[in-house]
Amino acid sequence: MAGTTEPVRPKPKPKAAPRGARSRAPAAPSKLSHVTTVDSQPEEALPAEDVAMEDAEASGPSKDHASPERSHRRKPAKVKEEFAALLEPFYYGKALHDPINTAEDKWNLLPAFLKVKGLVKQHVDSYNHLMDLGLKEIVKANKIVRSDFNPKFMLEYTDIRVDFPNRQDEEGMGSHHRSSITPNECRLRDMTYSAPVVVDVQYTRGNHLVKRNNIQIARLPIMLKSNKCVLAGKNDRDMAYMDECPLDPGGYFIVRGQEKVILIQEQLNKNRVIVESAKGIMQASVTSSTHERRTKSYVIQKKGLMYLRHNTLSEEVPIVFALKALGLRSDKEILLMVAGDDSAYQDSFQVNFEACSRENINCQEKALEYIGHRVKLTKKPPGAYRIRNYHVEAIECLSSVILPHVGATESDFRAKAIYVAHMARRVIMAVHDPSLVDDRDYVGNKRLELSGQMMALLFEDHFKRFNTDFKVSIDKVLKKQNRAQEFDAYTHFSVHKNHITLGVERALATGNWSLKRFKMERAGVTHVLSRLSYIAALGMMTRISSQFEKTRKVSGPRALQPSQFGMLCTSDTPEGEACGLVKNLALMTHVTTEGEEEPIRDCIAALGAEDICGHNGASIHREGMFSVYLNGTPIAITDDPKGFLNNFRKLRRRGRISEFTSIHINQDYNAVHVATDEGRICRPLIVVENGRSKVTSRYLQALRKGTMQFEDFLTRGLVEYVDVNEENDAHIAIYEREMTKHTTHLEIEPFTILGAVAGLIPYPHHNQSPRNTYQCAMGKQAIGAIGYNQFKRIDTLLYIMVYPQKPMVKTRTIELVKYDKLPAGQAATVAVMSYSGYDIEDALILNKSSVDRGFGRCQVFKKNAVLLKNYTNGSSDGLNGGFDQSVAANHALGIDGIAQVGTTLGQGDAMYIKNTPADIAPGTVSTRSIDKPVKHKSPDPVIIDKVCVTEHEASGAKTIKILTRQTRRPELGDKFSSRHGQKGVVGLISPGEDMPFNDQGINPDIIMNPHGFPSRMTVGKMMELLAGKAGVLSGEFGYGTAFGGSKVEDMADLLLKHGFSYSGKDYLTSGITGEALQFYVFFGPIYYQKLKHMVMDKMHSRARGPRAILTRQPTEGRARDGGLRLGEMERDCLIAYGASQLLLERLMISSDAHNVDICEKCGQMGYSGWCGVCGSEKHVRGLVMPYAAKLLIQELGSMNVRVKVGLEDEFEGMM
Amino acid sequence: MCGNTSPETKWVQESPSKHFIGWVQGCEEVSKIREGEPMRCKTCGSRVLYKMRTKRMVQFEAR
Repeated sequence: MAGTTEPVRPKPKPKAAPRGARSRAPAAPSKLSHVTTVDSQPEEALPAEDVAMEDAEASGPSKDHASPERSHRRKPAKVKEEFAALLEPFYYGKALHDPINTAEDKWNLLPAFLKVKGLVKQHVDSYNHLMDLGLKEIVKANKIVRSDFNPKFMLEYTDIRVDFPNRQDEEGMGSHHRSSITPNECRLRDMTYSAPVVVDVQYTRGNHLVKRNNIQIARLPIMLKSNKCVLAGKNDRDMAYMDECPLDPGGYFIVRGQEKVILIQEQLNKNRVIVESAKGIMQASVTSSTHERRTKSYVIQKKGLMYLRHNTLSEEVPIVFALKALGLRSDKEILLMVAGDDSAYQDSFQVNFEACSRENINCQEKALEYIGHRVKLTKKPPGAYRIRNYHVEAIECLSSVILPHVGATESDFRAKAIYVAHMARRVIMAVHDPSLVDDRDYVGNKRLELSGQMMALLFEDHFKRFNTDFKVSIDKVLKKQNRAQEFDAYTHFSVHKNHITLGVERALATGNWSLKRFKMERAGVTHVLSRLSYIAALGMMTRISSQFEKTRKVSGPRALQPSQFGMLCTSDTPEGEACGLVKNLALMTHVTTEGEEEPIRDCIAALGAEDICGHNGASIHREGMFSVYLNGTPIAITDDPKGFLNNFRKLRRRGRISEFTSIHINQDYNAVHVATDEGRICRPLIVVENGRSKVTSRYLQALRKGTMQFEDFLTRGLVEYVDVNEENDAHIAIYEREMTKHTTHLEIEPFTILGAVAGLIPYPHHNQSPRNTYQCAMGKQAIGAIGYNQFKRIDTLLYIMVYPQKPMVKTRTIELVKYDKLPAGQAATVAVMSYSGYDIEDALILNKSSVDRGFGRCQVFKKNAVLLKNYTNGSSDGLNGGFDQSVAANHALGIDGIAQVGTTLGQGDAMYIKNTPADIAPGTVSTRSIDKPVKHKSPDPVIIDKVCVTEHEASGAKTIKILTRQTRRPELGDKFSSRHGQKGVVGLISPGEDMPFNDQGINPDIIMNPHGFPSRMTVGKMMELLAGKAGVLSGEFGYGTAFGGSKVEDMADLLLKHGFSYSGKDYLTSGITGEALQFYVFFGPIYYQKLKHMVMDKMHSRARGPRAILTRQPTEGRARDGGLRLGEMERDCLIAYGASQLLLERLMISSDAHNVDICEKCGQMGYSGWCGVCGSEKHVRGLVMPYAAKLLIQELGSMNVRVKVGLEDEFEGMM
Repeated sequence: MCGNTSPETKWVQESPSKHFIGWVQGCEEVSKIREGEPMRCKTCGSRVLYKMRTKRMVQFEAR
């Protein structure tokens, strides 16, 4: 089977052989023989799926592992084609001639999908969209700068481009110069990975028009693996040259040496009507968002009357006036436009006309006048009081401030009138039928804001500010009438170029998005990419954070929405306050970028829908007439919605319009909605026509052969992207056998309802759901491999497992996200039994021999950075001050004053000695300098792993990064977890001799208490053990893919075949007594993760130690060697018990006892037995009180509050 | 460190005079960077330099 994969890609492999294979010649035959053995193995009568699984392993390694190794030894020229084979989606050994069963093999589309879209591609896509189109549009919208003083002056931007990333000192070398910069250099040198942004301008100089090209206006951070990144389209070998991991997801930025991710932001959709009800008020609101403006308009119904509300209107305007002002002439027209011919709607709308006669407003003129009076002026006219022209103001307001996204010309408000009437209609309908109130939590009403959009907002804001700054500075010159020389605006242009660069960089570094124009102030937009493990980084790229306040106690936004099926992961959400607010994308989702509206508009017209502006209310709301909405705006009407929809879909499936355009029919509102906007979540589904799947075995064969790509499936209309709204309108079968004649789509694979992180769980469909959620949180804390370049990185904190292993029980997701190449855990042999008493409450027993052999061993790398500053007086920090080599603490230092690479530092040993000049004030000359050793603090010794020196890009200051390493073996209290939310700490490390063993002499690595199972109901874990055990015995990996995977029955058969009990239980012998255990033990491999919480980082105790300066109480926290607090509740216990002396000791004597002299007479504090107030020593008594109390008395005193201490005899009665 | 991979640029201490740092570079050849000079490998142009491993004997505890 596997051998037959060769013909698939015949060219690369034989070619690779001579160079690459020679060195590994002995390995090759064995591999081959392995393959053949599998091949010749008598095929068990297993169901097709398991055969597929077996095949998978047979050729998996030969394809995925052999080729990268070989490619490293090859000449770069040939690498490309060979590497292409590696980039190919893999189909797990399915050979060309293998029978293809569409029902089983349609999942092959998934790897093909992930090759082009999905996971982090939405970030990259959205960023690419910004770089290629978005920036140009932003510049186009603000392309002309004029002067207030010289009407002749004009500067126009003609183009904007982003060059390739380079270093700051390479600027001005021309765009043909390709920099050798790599992302890893930026990480190491604390640089920002950014590229220059250049513009072409033309402006007037005197009477000439001057053109200048390639003027740099900013540097923008470049997203890794975007099309501007140097990593784009590179193969493994090139990646290795650049110290980059080929499996790294990309999609983040490097800002000042830190990897920053812009999390996906979830928001309510823009430019759509949302009907809400609250406290008897029904309102339809729209957040309009255009390049120029972002405003919110409302149509509300209060006490039966409807109004238009907007921030720029000082009061609510009756809806009828608004419609009249928008050019609806007669009352009848208004009535029909809003209510149609429905008499119930008409009756409830009728009352609104009363306002007309009350205010005597009957025509458009008067309505405009009325609105004009209520327009709030944004800025006072300068100088003298201007007579307001209400009429013009009203038109201005209606055309550009209210609902700016609805296209309207100065004279024709028809489209806007229809829109407002439509809003009013929605309100009336919701009043009559409360079920029509919109659900804000419905995923179809949500839009995701990706990094490209966030960056666009940022750039737009800064670009506008740049232009105004530029304008101000040229105005300063142009104001003066007579100039010595001809004015050249270019000299003013470059002055402000750093503003954009720094502004964008600061926003990314701090995560504070403060945009003045939209009055947007958002914190925590960016996060440092978590590099705890590969999966943590991956999980971060798919994370979605919503704007809801965490404190609000509404369950709606947190609840699992049925509409998020297939779009958002059902399991991956944090516990606690952010529960349900932070979500994750499912595996096979894509987030749309903005699509062009114009071709869709043409297309709608071409399909026979008539322009809505040419119709009146009667025909728009006629029975059977459907309005066509493009991105929420009614633009056309049609009387054959079904036919329209079908034709539209046909066009999309033929690839005539963007595949991300969605169309669906809303029967409630008689509406056909077409959407092209950005931020919709969508996923691919197989198209079904006439009860038949369009994807047939023929196409799957072509896919496997490589003659068809995922895109071809789209353009041929076999697969299409469906967003949440359209999904709601479809009839989707999960399996082919469930298809009926009504079915419109077929699911590609059901396990894609889970995300990348939840996809690691084997048999998640057999677990209690919260367990899967727990595992999603823990999978991100597991220690493992971070990337192929993990030893080339210098992170502040890096955990790496020494011997990570692939899980025995894999899932399809594991293979697709390549977790098996960067695993985080080890396959431990687990015995589920009780052993000693050290395994209660989820504690685990570890086998000491396993630990000795490297089970759970990890390395911890920590960074110590020193910045050698250059001071303004010319002096600078140094390192190699002469130090005393005879001092024991300096033993590791080299002559340069930095610890030698490879030496061990114990507690208190100097890591480096920094030499700081004594005088750093400008103008002074430094003659002396101070040596200050920086010591290794923790009691556990570290080894110097790496010392790296670089210069800061701009200032030239040297940065020295010292990387220390610790190798840690598991110890008592370290935290481990299986993949089923079953965490536990090590309770005992028992000698291997004492461990129970089976008849083959196999010891368990871990003994787990069986009490962990009944209440947790993690059946998946048991199945993992079974599949793992069967896999170990048969030499293959098990599969635990959600809603699929290896069947327990088959696993049981395999176990039986190899002479084991079908139940997975083994006969064990006690290692302590040598007696047979009286019970069979559930025994087999389970994948265990070591979590980052280790005792070594947490263990802390103190007797005496440092105290805080102000209060003289012991310091707080392990880092400051703090004391252990006797808290309020502990205090309460002591009070209740009456242990007053213990209380006194704990709270005062052992804490901040202080001797004070207090004058009995005046109650004030004195000193040295003398009362300063009374001027005598007669009544002064010494007493002990907490220093904090003394401080309180003095602080109150500083506020003119006198505190008098009254003294009395303790044993008065006895005297 | 060559801006790319493996042979790492390294430095070693040479003369103990105060503001002088000697740099040795491990990409094939050894070159030194003195005080005031830019931090760059003269052979490959890399701007990230690494200190050479100690020549002292080091002993690790195998546990």
